[in-house]
Amino acid sequence: MTDKPDGAALLEEARRTLVEVLLPLLPPERRYDGLMVANAMAIAAREAGQGDAARREGLKMLSALFGESGATAGPTTDLHAQLLDLEDRLARKIRAGLCDAPGPHRDAVRACLRRSVVARLRLSNPKALS
Amino acid sequence: MTVDLAADAAAQERLCRFVAAAAGAGRATIAAIAPLRGGAIQENWSVDIDLEGGASSGRHALVLRTDAPSRVAASHGRAEEYALLKLARAAGVAAPEPLWLCRDPAVFGRAFYLMRRVPGVAAGHRIVKDLSLGGPRDALAERLGQELARIHAVTPGTIARLAPGQSFDFLTPSSAHPGLDRVRVYRRYLDDLGAPHPALEWGLRWLELNSRPASEITLVHQDFRTGNYLVDGQGLTAILDWEFCAWGDPMSDIAWFCAKCWRFGASDREAGGIAARAPFYRGYEAASGRPIDPASIHYWEIATHVRWAVIALQQAARHLSGAQRSLELALTGRLLPELELEILNLIDAAEGKAA
Repeated sequence: MTDKPDGAALLEEARRTLVEVLLPLLPPERRYDGLMVANAMAIAAREAGQGDAARREGLKMLSALFGESGATAGPTTDLHAQLLDLEDRLARKIRAGLCDAPGPHRDAVRACLRRSVVARLRLSNPKALS
Repeated sequence: MTVDLAADAAAQERLCRFVAAAAGAGRATIAAIAPLRGGAIQENWSVDIDLEGGASSGRHALVLRTDAPSRVAASHGRAEEYALLKLARAAGVAAPEPLWLCRDPAVFGRAFYLMRRVPGVAAGHRIVKDLSLGGPRDALAERLGQELARIHAVTPGTIARLAPGQSFDFLTPSSAHPGLDRVRVYRRYLDDLGAPHPALEWGLRWLELNSRPASEITLVHQDFRTGNYLVDGQGLTAILDWEFCAWGDPMSDIAWFCAKCWRFGASDREAGGIAARAPFYRGYEAASGRPIDPASIHYWEIATHVRWAVIALQQAARHLSGAQRSLELALTGRLLPELELEILNLIDAAEGKAA
Protein backbone atom coordinates (compact mmCIF):
# COMPACT_ATOMS: atom_id res chain seq x y z
CA MET A 1 0.00 0.00 0.00
CA THR A 2 1.00 3.61 -0.40
CA ASP A 3 0.80 6.14 2.41
CA LYS A 4 -1.22 9.24 1.75
CA PRO A 5 -0.64 12.01 0.83
CA ASP A 6 1.77 11.01 -1.93
CA GLY A 7 4.95 12.88 -2.82
CA ALA A 8 3.36 15.15 -5.41
CA ALA A 9 0.60 16.19 -3.01
CA LEU A 10 3.13 16.83 -0.22
CA LEU A 11 5.21 18.96 -2.53
CA GLU A 12 2.17 21.00 -3.49
CA GLU A 13 1.22 21.58 0.13
CA ALA A 14 4.81 22.48 1.06
CA ARG A 15 4.84 25.01 -1.75
CA ARG A 16 1.57 26.53 -0.58
CA THR A 17 3.06 26.96 2.90
CA LEU A 18 6.19 28.53 1.43
CA VAL A 19 4.27 31.02 -0.69
CA GLU A 20 1.51 31.93 1.76
CA VAL A 21 3.27 31.68 5.14
CA LEU A 22 7.03 31.99 4.69
CA LEU A 23 7.50 34.26 1.69
CA PRO A 24 5.91 37.30 3.38
CA LEU A 25 8.35 36.89 6.29
CA LEU A 26 11.48 36.97 4.11
CA PRO A 27 13.52 40.19 3.99
CA PRO A 28 13.24 41.90 0.58
CA GLU A 29 16.76 40.90 -0.51
CA ARG A 30 15.91 37.20 -0.02
CA ARG A 31 12.52 37.32 -1.71
CA TYR A 32 13.95 36.31 -5.09
CA ASP A 33 15.46 33.18 -3.53
CA GLY A 34 12.06 32.35 -2.04
CA LEU A 35 10.37 32.77 -5.41
CA MET A 36 12.98 30.55 -7.08
CA VAL A 37 12.38 27.82 -4.50
CA ALA A 38 8.62 28.09 -5.07
CA ASN A 39 9.15 27.86 -8.83
CA ALA A 40 11.42 24.80 -8.52
CA MET A 41 8.83 23.10 -6.30
CA ALA A 42 6.05 23.86 -8.77
CA ILE A 43 8.01 22.28 -11.62
CA ALA A 44 8.87 19.23 -9.52
CA ALA A 45 5.22 18.85 -8.43
CA ARG A 46 3.98 18.98 -12.02
CA GLU A 47 6.55 16.37 -13.05
CA ALA A 48 5.76 14.11 -10.11
CA GLY A 49 2.04 14.37 -10.86
CA GLN A 50 2.59 13.40 -14.46
CA GLY A 51 4.94 10.45 -14.07
CA ASP A 52 6.21 9.02 -17.35
CA ALA A 53 3.42 10.40 -19.51
CA ALA A 54 5.52 13.03 -21.35
CA ARG A 55 8.31 10.55 -22.11
CA ARG A 56 5.91 7.90 -23.35
CA GLU A 57 4.18 10.48 -25.53
CA GLY A 58 7.52 11.70 -26.89
CA LEU A 59 8.63 8.18 -27.65
CA LYS A 60 5.40 7.40 -29.47
CA MET A 61 5.67 10.53 -31.56
CA LEU A 62 9.32 10.06 -32.51
CA SER A 63 8.79 6.38 -33.28
CA ALA A 64 6.00 7.34 -35.64
CA LEU A 65 8.24 9.92 -37.29
CA PHE A 66 10.91 7.28 -37.88
CA GLY A 67 8.29 4.79 -39.05
CA GLU A 68 8.84 2.43 -36.13
CA SER A 69 5.95 0.89 -34.25
CA GLY A 70 7.58 -0.66 -31.16
CA ALA A 71 9.24 1.04 -28.23
CA THR A 72 6.27 2.04 -26.15
CA ALA A 73 6.29 -0.31 -23.15
CA GLY A 74 9.17 -1.26 -20.90
CA PRO A 75 10.60 0.04 -17.64
CA THR A 76 11.45 3.71 -17.11
CA THR A 77 15.21 3.37 -17.64
CA ASP A 78 14.67 1.82 -21.07
CA LEU A 79 12.12 4.48 -21.87
CA HIS A 80 14.63 7.23 -21.17
CA ALA A 81 17.39 5.55 -23.19
CA GLN A 82 15.07 4.89 -26.14
CA LEU A 83 13.84 8.46 -26.13
CA LEU A 84 17.39 9.83 -26.02
CA ASP A 85 18.37 7.56 -28.89
CA LEU A 86 15.49 8.78 -31.08
CA GLU A 87 16.13 12.42 -30.18
CA ASP A 88 19.76 11.93 -31.07
CA ARG A 89 18.82 10.45 -34.45
CA LEU A 90 16.46 13.34 -35.16
CA ALA A 91 19.05 15.92 -34.11
CA ARG A 92 21.65 14.37 -36.45
CA LYS A 93 19.16 14.17 -39.30
CA ILE A 94 18.28 17.84 -38.99
CA ARG A 95 21.93 18.87 -38.79
CA ALA A 96 22.79 16.77 -41.86
CA GLY A 97 20.18 18.66 -43.87
CA LEU A 98 17.87 15.66 -44.31
CA CYS A 99 14.81 17.67 -43.22
CA ASP A 100 15.46 20.76 -45.37
CA ALA A 101 13.22 20.17 -48.38
CA PRO A 102 9.84 21.91 -48.09
CA GLY A 103 7.05 19.34 -48.03
CA PRO A 104 5.30 16.73 -45.90
CA HIS A 105 8.43 15.36 -44.22
CA ARG A 106 9.67 18.77 -43.12
CA ASP A 107 6.19 19.61 -41.87
CA ALA A 108 6.00 16.32 -39.93
CA VAL A 109 9.31 17.11 -38.24
CA ARG A 110 8.08 20.64 -37.57
CA ALA A 111 4.92 19.33 -35.90
CA CYS A 112 6.85 16.74 -33.89
CA LEU A 113 9.28 19.37 -32.56
CA ARG A 114 6.43 21.66 -31.59
CA ARG A 115 4.56 18.96 -29.70
CA SER A 116 7.67 17.95 -27.82
CA VAL A 117 8.53 21.53 -26.90
CA VAL A 118 4.97 22.30 -25.80
CA ALA A 119 4.86 19.14 -23.64
CA ARG A 120 8.08 20.19 -21.87
CA LEU A 121 6.88 23.77 -21.53
CA ARG A 122 3.71 22.50 -19.86
CA LEU A 123 5.98 21.18 -17.11
CA SER A 124 8.53 24.02 -16.91
CA ASN A 125 6.36 27.08 -17.39
CA PRO A 126 2.73 26.46 -18.41
CA LYS A 127 1.99 30.20 -18.13
CA ALA A 128 4.06 30.75 -21.29
CA LEU A 129 1.46 28.73 -23.20
CA SER A 130 -1.51 30.92 -22.33
CA MET B 1 41.49 30.28 -3.23
CA THR B 2 38.03 31.77 -2.79
CA VAL B 3 37.55 34.65 -0.40
CA ASP B 4 34.45 35.90 1.37
CA LEU B 5 35.47 39.53 1.36
CA ALA B 6 32.83 40.67 3.85
CA ALA B 7 34.04 38.21 6.52
CA ASP B 8 37.77 38.08 5.83
CA ALA B 9 39.69 40.86 7.61
CA ALA B 10 43.03 39.80 6.12
CA ALA B 11 41.61 39.95 2.56
CA GLN B 12 40.17 43.39 3.32
CA GLU B 13 43.58 44.52 4.53
CA ARG B 14 45.22 43.24 1.32
CA LEU B 15 42.53 45.01 -0.72
CA CYS B 16 43.17 48.29 1.13
CA ARG B 17 46.92 48.06 0.53
CA PHE B 18 46.32 47.42 -3.16
CA VAL B 19 43.90 50.35 -3.49
CA ALA B 20 46.16 52.75 -1.59
CA ALA B 21 49.09 51.89 -3.87
CA ALA B 22 46.99 51.99 -7.06
CA ALA B 23 45.40 55.34 -6.13
CA GLY B 24 48.64 56.87 -4.90
CA ALA B 25 47.09 57.43 -1.48
CA GLY B 26 48.80 57.15 1.90
CA ARG B 27 46.11 54.95 3.34
CA ALA B 28 42.88 53.24 2.31
CA THR B 29 40.19 51.99 4.68
CA ILE B 30 36.94 50.19 3.98
CA ALA B 31 33.93 52.14 5.23
CA ALA B 32 31.30 49.66 4.00
CA ILE B 33 31.25 46.41 2.05
CA ALA B 34 28.33 44.23 0.89
CA PRO B 35 27.76 41.62 -1.80
CA LEU B 36 25.73 42.74 -4.82
CA ARG B 37 23.33 40.41 -6.56
CA GLY B 38 25.16 40.24 -9.85
CA GLY B 39 25.14 38.10 -12.91
CA ALA B 40 25.59 34.37 -12.74
CA ILE B 41 29.10 34.66 -14.13
CA GLN B 42 30.95 37.03 -11.82
CA GLU B 43 30.79 38.20 -8.25
CA ASN B 44 30.17 41.84 -7.47
CA TRP B 45 30.78 43.68 -4.22
CA SER B 46 29.67 47.15 -3.28
CA VAL B 47 32.60 48.80 -1.48
CA ASP B 48 32.97 52.26 0.06
CA ILE B 49 36.62 53.16 0.49
CA ASP B 50 38.15 56.16 2.29
CA LEU B 51 41.42 57.37 0.84
CA GLU B 52 43.79 59.54 2.84
CA GLY B 53 46.44 61.56 1.06
CA GLY B 54 47.07 61.76 -2.68
CA ALA B 55 45.02 63.33 -5.42
CA SER B 56 41.89 61.23 -4.81
CA SER B 57 41.58 61.79 -1.06
CA GLY B 58 38.06 61.25 0.27
CA ARG B 59 35.32 58.62 0.16
CA HIS B 60 34.82 56.58 -3.00
CA ALA B 61 31.68 54.57 -3.80
CA LEU B 62 32.94 51.60 -5.80
CA VAL B 63 32.02 48.22 -7.21
CA LEU B 64 34.53 45.38 -7.05
CA ARG B 65 34.08 42.75 -9.76
CA THR B 66 35.78 39.38 -9.68
CA ASP B 67 35.37 36.10 -11.51
CA ALA B 68 32.91 33.60 -10.08
CA PRO B 69 34.20 30.10 -9.20
CA SER B 70 33.23 28.73 -12.63
CA ARG B 71 32.80 30.39 -15.99
CA VAL B 72 30.78 30.19 -19.15
CA ALA B 73 32.77 29.64 -22.31
CA ALA B 74 33.25 32.84 -24.32
CA SER B 75 32.96 35.19 -21.37
CA HIS B 76 36.00 37.39 -20.85
CA GLY B 77 37.96 37.57 -17.62
CA ARG B 78 38.14 40.70 -15.54
CA ALA B 79 41.34 42.07 -17.10
CA GLU B 80 39.73 41.98 -20.55
CA GLU B 81 36.52 43.48 -19.23
CA TYR B 82 38.51 46.31 -17.64
CA ALA B 83 40.06 47.10 -21.03
CA LEU B 84 36.61 46.98 -22.65
CA LEU B 85 35.19 49.47 -20.13
CA LYS B 86 37.99 51.89 -20.95
CA LEU B 87 37.35 51.39 -24.65
CA ALA B 88 33.61 51.95 -24.21
CA ARG B 89 34.18 55.21 -22.36
CA ALA B 90 36.61 56.37 -25.03
CA ALA B 91 33.86 55.64 -27.58
CA GLY B 92 31.47 57.87 -25.63
CA VAL B 93 29.32 55.06 -24.20
CA ALA B 94 27.78 55.55 -20.75
CA ALA B 95 29.82 52.74 -19.15
CA PRO B 96 30.94 52.79 -15.50
CA GLU B 97 34.40 54.30 -15.00
CA PRO B 98 36.99 51.57 -14.42
CA LEU B 99 39.57 52.64 -11.83
CA TRP B 100 42.07 49.94 -10.84
CA LEU B 101 42.75 46.45 -12.12
CA CYS B 102 44.51 43.85 -9.94
CA ARG B 103 45.89 40.76 -11.66
CA ASP B 104 47.75 39.54 -8.57
CA PRO B 105 45.91 36.48 -7.22
CA ALA B 106 47.60 36.95 -3.83
CA VAL B 107 45.18 39.79 -3.01
CA PHE B 108 41.82 38.18 -3.62
CA GLY B 109 42.40 34.73 -5.05
CA ARG B 110 41.35 35.84 -8.52
CA ALA B 111 41.81 38.88 -10.74
CA PHE B 112 39.46 41.76 -9.97
CA TYR B 113 38.95 45.41 -10.73
CA LEU B 114 37.26 48.34 -9.08
CA MET B 115 34.99 50.75 -10.90
CA ARG B 116 33.02 53.75 -9.80
CA ARG B 117 29.58 52.76 -8.51
CA VAL B 118 26.80 54.20 -10.64
CA PRO B 119 23.45 54.70 -8.92
CA GLY B 120 20.43 53.04 -10.44
CA VAL B 121 18.36 49.90 -10.85
CA ALA B 122 19.22 47.13 -13.32
CA ALA B 123 16.66 44.41 -12.48
CA GLY B 124 14.74 43.78 -15.70
CA HIS B 125 11.46 42.71 -14.12
CA ARG B 126 11.40 45.93 -12.03
CA ILE B 127 12.27 48.27 -14.91
CA VAL B 128 9.60 46.72 -17.10
CA LYS B 129 6.87 47.06 -14.43
CA ASP B 130 7.81 50.22 -12.51
CA LEU B 131 7.20 53.21 -14.78
CA SER B 132 8.68 55.63 -12.22
CA LEU B 133 12.07 54.24 -13.28
CA GLY B 134 14.01 55.25 -16.35
CA GLY B 135 12.08 58.39 -17.26
CA PRO B 136 9.75 58.56 -20.30
CA ARG B 137 10.03 55.17 -21.96
CA ASP B 138 10.26 56.27 -25.57
CA ALA B 139 13.12 58.60 -24.64
CA LEU B 140 14.85 55.77 -22.76
CA ALA B 141 14.54 53.44 -25.76
CA GLU B 142 15.84 56.14 -28.10
CA ARG B 143 18.80 56.83 -25.80
CA LEU B 144 19.61 53.10 -25.65
CA GLY B 145 19.59 53.06 -29.44
CA GLN B 146 22.10 55.91 -29.44
CA GLU B 147 24.34 54.15 -26.91
CA LEU B 148 24.33 50.98 -28.99
CA ALA B 149 25.24 53.02 -32.08
CA ARG B 150 28.29 54.34 -30.18
CA ILE B 151 29.37 50.79 -29.34
CA HIS B 152 29.05 49.86 -33.00
CA ALA B 153 31.19 52.84 -34.01
CA VAL B 154 34.11 50.78 -32.65
CA THR B 155 35.43 48.84 -35.64
CA PRO B 156 38.65 47.01 -36.47
CA GLY B 157 39.60 50.30 -38.14
CA THR B 158 38.89 52.67 -35.22
CA ILE B 159 39.81 50.59 -32.17
CA ALA B 160 43.52 51.41 -32.11
CA ARG B 161 42.80 55.13 -32.09
CA LEU B 162 40.25 54.78 -29.27
CA ALA B 163 42.49 52.69 -27.00
CA PRO B 164 46.12 53.27 -27.96
CA GLY B 165 48.57 50.62 -26.79
CA GLN B 166 45.88 48.17 -25.63
CA SER B 167 45.66 44.79 -27.35
CA PHE B 168 42.19 43.50 -28.14
CA ASP B 169 43.37 40.20 -29.58
CA PHE B 170 41.09 38.52 -27.04
CA LEU B 171 38.00 39.63 -29.02
CA THR B 172 36.69 36.71 -31.05
CA PRO B 173 37.22 37.58 -34.72
CA SER B 174 34.40 37.46 -37.26
CA SER B 175 34.31 36.22 -40.81
CA ALA B 176 32.19 38.02 -43.40
CA HIS B 177 29.44 35.54 -42.38
CA PRO B 178 28.99 36.10 -38.63
CA GLY B 179 25.86 33.90 -38.68
CA LEU B 180 27.82 30.89 -39.91
CA ASP B 181 30.57 31.57 -37.35
CA ARG B 182 27.94 31.34 -34.63
CA VAL B 183 26.39 28.16 -35.99
CA ARG B 184 29.79 26.44 -35.88
CA VAL B 185 30.47 27.57 -32.31
CA TYR B 186 27.04 26.64 -30.94
CA ARG B 187 27.14 23.20 -32.56
CA ARG B 188 30.50 22.61 -30.90
CA TYR B 189 29.08 23.71 -27.52
CA LEU B 190 26.07 21.41 -27.94
CA ASP B 191 28.33 18.51 -28.88
CA ASP B 192 30.48 19.19 -25.80
CA LEU B 193 27.38 19.15 -23.59
CA GLY B 194 26.44 15.78 -25.01
CA ALA B 195 22.65 15.56 -24.96
CA PRO B 196 20.61 15.87 -28.19
CA HIS B 197 18.50 19.01 -28.73
CA PRO B 198 16.50 18.58 -31.95
CA ALA B 199 14.67 21.93 -31.68
CA LEU B 200 17.97 23.80 -31.33
CA GLU B 201 19.36 21.84 -34.29
CA TRP B 202 16.28 22.96 -36.24
CA GLY B 203 17.18 26.55 -35.40
CA LEU B 204 20.89 26.08 -36.17
CA ARG B 205 20.19 24.49 -39.54
CA TRP B 206 17.85 27.35 -40.44
CA LEU B 207 20.53 29.87 -39.45
CA GLU B 208 23.05 27.97 -41.56
CA LEU B 209 20.84 27.96 -44.66
CA ASN B 210 19.67 31.55 -44.34
CA SER B 211 22.89 33.30 -43.35
CA ARG B 212 23.84 36.36 -45.32
CA PRO B 213 27.14 38.23 -45.18
CA ALA B 214 27.18 41.13 -42.70
CA SER B 215 27.15 44.54 -44.33
CA GLU B 216 29.76 45.55 -41.75
CA ILE B 217 31.78 44.08 -38.89
CA THR B 218 31.83 46.10 -35.67
CA LEU B 219 32.35 45.61 -31.97
CA VAL B 220 29.24 43.88 -30.62
CA HIS B 221 28.31 43.93 -26.94
CA GLN B 222 26.47 40.60 -27.11
CA ASP B 223 24.44 41.13 -23.94
CA PHE B 224 22.89 44.55 -24.58
CA ARG B 225 19.43 44.14 -23.08
CA THR B 226 17.05 45.15 -20.32
CA GLY B 227 18.62 43.85 -17.11
CA ASN B 228 22.09 44.95 -18.18
CA TYR B 229 21.69 48.71 -17.99
CA LEU B 230 21.07 50.96 -15.02
CA VAL B 231 18.33 53.56 -14.77
CA ASP B 232 17.38 56.08 -12.11
CA GLY B 233 14.20 58.17 -11.89
CA GLN B 234 15.25 60.33 -14.83
CA GLY B 235 16.72 57.89 -17.34
CA LEU B 236 19.74 55.81 -18.26
CA THR B 237 22.78 55.92 -15.97
CA ALA B 238 25.03 53.14 -17.32
CA ILE B 239 25.47 50.23 -19.74
CA LEU B 240 26.77 47.17 -17.89
CA ASP B 241 28.13 43.64 -18.44
CA TRP B 242 30.80 43.85 -21.11
CA GLU B 243 32.14 40.33 -20.72
CA PHE B 244 30.75 38.90 -23.97
CA CYS B 245 32.06 41.56 -26.41
CA ALA B 246 33.33 40.30 -29.77
CA TRP B 247 33.54 41.32 -33.42
CA GLY B 248 30.32 40.67 -35.29
CA ASP B 249 27.24 41.87 -37.15
CA PRO B 250 25.82 44.99 -35.47
CA MET B 251 22.29 43.77 -36.28
CA SER B 252 22.85 40.91 -33.81
CA ASP B 253 22.88 43.35 -30.86
CA ILE B 254 19.70 45.08 -32.01
CA ALA B 255 17.93 41.72 -32.29
CA TRP B 256 19.24 40.62 -28.86
CA PHE B 257 17.76 43.76 -27.30
CA CYS B 258 14.36 43.27 -28.97
CA ALA B 259 14.03 39.47 -28.78
CA LYS B 260 11.02 38.13 -26.91
CA CYS B 261 13.16 36.34 -24.32
CA TRP B 262 14.45 39.69 -23.01
CA ARG B 263 11.13 41.51 -22.61
CA PHE B 264 10.56 40.25 -19.05
CA GLY B 265 6.96 39.34 -19.75
CA ALA B 266 6.05 42.65 -21.44
CA SER B 267 5.85 40.92 -24.83
CA ASP B 268 3.92 43.70 -26.55
CA ARG B 269 6.69 46.23 -25.88
CA GLU B 270 9.10 44.76 -28.37
CA ALA B 271 12.11 46.93 -27.55
CA GLY B 272 13.33 45.24 -24.36
CA GLY B 273 9.90 45.27 -22.70
CA ILE B 274 10.13 49.06 -22.30
CA ALA B 275 8.86 50.56 -25.58
CA ALA B 276 7.90 49.88 -29.18
CA ARG B 277 10.73 49.19 -31.59
CA ALA B 278 10.29 52.53 -33.37
CA PRO B 279 11.98 54.85 -30.83
CA PHE B 280 14.84 52.37 -30.26
CA TYR B 281 15.40 51.98 -34.00
CA ARG B 282 15.09 55.74 -34.51
CA GLY B 283 17.78 56.47 -31.90
CA TYR B 284 20.06 53.84 -33.41
CA GLU B 285 19.62 54.82 -37.04
CA ALA B 286 20.04 58.54 -36.37
CA ALA B 287 23.21 58.06 -34.32
CA SER B 288 24.79 55.38 -36.53
CA GLY B 289 23.63 56.40 -39.99
CA ARG B 290 23.12 52.67 -40.53
CA PRO B 291 19.64 51.56 -41.65
CA ILE B 292 18.05 48.62 -39.82
CA ASP B 293 16.96 45.78 -42.12
CA PRO B 294 13.93 43.90 -40.69
CA ALA B 295 14.87 40.62 -42.42
CA SER B 296 18.31 40.74 -40.84
CA ILE B 297 16.75 41.47 -37.43
CA HIS B 298 14.42 38.47 -37.85
CA TYR B 299 17.43 36.27 -38.63
CA TRP B 300 19.29 37.51 -35.58
CA GLU B 301 16.26 37.12 -33.30
CA ILE B 302 16.28 33.43 -34.14
CA ALA B 303 20.03 33.45 -33.46
CA THR B 304 19.35 35.25 -30.16
CA HIS B 305 17.07 32.49 -28.89
CA VAL B 306 19.47 29.79 -30.03
CA ARG B 307 22.38 31.52 -28.34
CA TRP B 308 20.50 32.11 -25.08
CA ALA B 309 19.36 28.48 -25.13
CA VAL B 310 22.95 27.26 -25.55
CA ILE B 311 24.16 29.56 -22.75
CA ALA B 312 21.27 28.38 -20.54
CA LEU B 313 22.39 24.78 -21.11
CA GLN B 314 25.95 25.76 -20.18
CA GLN B 315 24.72 27.54 -17.04
CA ALA B 316 22.73 24.48 -16.02
CA ALA B 317 25.78 22.29 -16.71
CA ARG B 318 27.82 24.35 -14.24
CA HIS B 319 25.27 23.40 -11.60
CA LEU B 320 24.85 19.79 -12.73
CA SER B 321 28.60 19.14 -12.79
CA GLY B 322 28.89 20.40 -9.23
CA ALA B 323 31.29 23.17 -10.31
CA GLN B 324 28.89 25.76 -8.91
CA ARG B 325 25.77 24.53 -7.14
CA SER B 326 23.05 27.15 -7.53
CA LEU B 327 19.27 27.10 -7.76
CA GLU B 328 19.39 30.02 -10.19
CA LEU B 329 21.70 28.13 -12.56
CA ALA B 330 19.60 24.99 -12.15
CA LEU B 331 16.37 26.79 -13.05
CA THR B 332 18.06 28.38 -16.06
CA GLY B 333 18.20 24.89 -17.55
CA ARG B 334 14.41 24.78 -17.46
CA LEU B 335 14.12 27.86 -19.68
CA LEU B 336 14.89 25.68 -22.68
CA PRO B 337 11.38 24.85 -23.95
CA GLU B 338 10.30 28.49 -23.80
CA LEU B 339 13.27 29.54 -25.93
CA GLU B 340 12.78 26.60 -28.30
CA LEU B 341 9.10 27.45 -28.80
CA GLU B 342 10.07 30.95 -29.90
CA ILE B 343 12.67 29.51 -32.29
CA LEU B 344 9.96 27.34 -33.87
CA ASN B 345 7.54 30.29 -34.04
CA LEU B 346 10.07 32.61 -35.68
CA ILE B 347 11.09 29.98 -38.25
CA ASP B 348 7.44 29.19 -39.02
CA ALA B 349 6.86 32.92 -39.57
CA ALA B 350 9.88 33.12 -41.90
CA GLU B 351 8.61 30.11 -43.87
CA GLY B 352 5.03 31.38 -44.07
CA LYS B 353 3.68 28.61 -41.83
CA ALA B 354 0.98 29.60 -39.35
CA ALA B 355 1.93 28.44 -35.83
